[in-house]
Amino acid sequence: MIQKKICMIGSFAVGKTSLVSRFVDSIFSDKYITTVGVKIDKKTISVGTQDMTLVLWDLEGEDEFQKFRVSYLRGTSGYLLVSDGTRPNTIDVALKLQQEVETAIGAVPFIFIINKHDLIDEWKINESDIDHLRSKGWEVIKTSAKLGQAVEEAFLTLGARMLGT
Amino acid sequence: MKDSTVHELFDLLNVFVLKRSDNGTFQPLGSIPEWFLHLFPEALEPDRSCAPEEWSPFLENFLFDANEFWNKNKKGRTFSGPWIEKDSAGREFSLEASAVCLKDGKFFVVENLSKAYEVQLKLLQVGRDNSLYNELLEEEVRKRTAQIQDREEEVALRLVSAAEFRDDETGAHIRRMGAYSAVLAKKLGWSSGEIDNIRIAAPMHDIGKIGIPDSVLLKPGRLTDEEYDVMKQHAEIGGKMLAGSKTRMINMAHDIALYHHEKWDGSGYPSGLPGDEIPLSARVVAVADVYDALVHKRVYKPPLSEVETLGIMKKTKGHHFDPNLIDIFLDSLEDFRKIAAYDGSGKLPIV
Repeated sequence: MIQKKICMIGSFAVGKTSLVSRFVDSIFSDKYITTVGVKIDKKTISVGTQDMTLVLWDLEGEDEFQKFRVSYLRGTSGYLLVSDGTRPNTIDVALKLQQEVETAIGAVPFIFIINKHDLIDEWKINESDIDHLRSKGWEVIKTSAKLGQAVEEAFLTLGARMLGT
Repeated sequence: MKDSTVHELFDLLNVFVLKRSDNGTFQPLGSIPEWFLHLFPEALEPDRSCAPEEWSPFLENFLFDANEFWNKNKKGRTFSGPWIEKDSAGREFSLEASAVCLKDGKFFVVENLSKAYEVQLKLLQVGRDNSLYNELLEEEVRKRTAQIQDREEEVALRLVSAAEFRDDETGAHIRRMGAYSAVLAKKLGWSSGEIDNIRIAAPMHDIGKIGIPDSVLLKPGRLTDEEYDVMKQHAEIGGKMLAGSKTRMINMAHDIALYHHEKWDGSGYPSGLPGDEIPLSARVVAVADVYDALVHKRVYKPPLSEVETLGIMKKTKGHHFDPNLIDIFLDSLEDFRKIAAYDGSGKLPIV
């Protein structure tokens, strides 16, 4: 079976670990527990008639305390670039990280995730900000790890992109 | 040192150590910790040689860095950073690998971080919780600052309206003045705070007209030389009205009111200041004020076309206006057009 490594990348507390937990184990916890280092999970998905095992590297969030280790990207076939709609600065961090990733491993498929859609009333980014991201030719998906909204769609879309379908 | 002592030491340190041979294979040193066998029960080959790259995708990745490090043959140690490994029951173990290079050999170490990880996690959790709390506080400060600015702007605009209405001007004109000036300030690279300041201060440019007698201010037709001298006093009156403040925005409004009729070649009034002796805020407002006056109807003239307006602005570049600002103005024409179209109804374009 095809195996693809994908990385979860973004600022701290945007919900990377929650998205993986929701996708792999269908669970969610409201309590924020920070990630130190790397957590690796696996899940098999089907894209069309093709089965594929995703090896999910949940990387600790970028912030003033922890810097992103480029060596963790080795062999990455795609990534979810995760931000939090309630914290506009996480979009800036995601944009910076996207540049760093592209410099390190070149242009591989990625999906721009704006998480915490369950808190849409508290979002500080608007549709024109999202249109700006889409104008770069990027796929932008609004997710809620809490409600499970569009989580599977995000991983499946990335899977399809990695297969070039 | 006896082998048994070394093994005891490894146990105590919670580490599993492998020696790397020159052909790139690994041999375990000492006894194999229980936690390691629990996590990787099939890790060891019968002949006790082993392949860490097969134990976990994380180690497979780190071995690239480790080999690079060993190939340098430089005494020292490089770390993988922590990672979480789950057992078959889903329990999490925090581990960290390192590559060690000594005179007597090369070693691969896997450490069960256990308590050390928990301490690191707690510290980071506190740091990140604080960061999130600070973000919330900053957002609250930003919101309240915006409310104060809105209030300041409204008070300023209402006061200025009192002066402008005497001059048959409209609220739309004074609001446009703020918007044009903000566009130029942004292109000049001003901070967002300074851009906000000029947006509020620019509408006060003619506040001194409140001190000009009706017989001059509202006179239809051409002013005599004496009347024109009286009219020109509005700059100094405005300057006096706004002088001596400790507020940055009011100080900027003072400069604008006092100096917005100065000219780049020194032929303006009230002081005849030349070039960059004229405060930049006043030079910005001068461009905005003349443009707005030219493209709109006044009691003494019809509106000019854009071609005529631009012709005049370009012609007076370096005489009336700061030449650099005219270049920036021409580069911002699309924004100026949008603002000029604002007639007081609907929303002022925020560019």
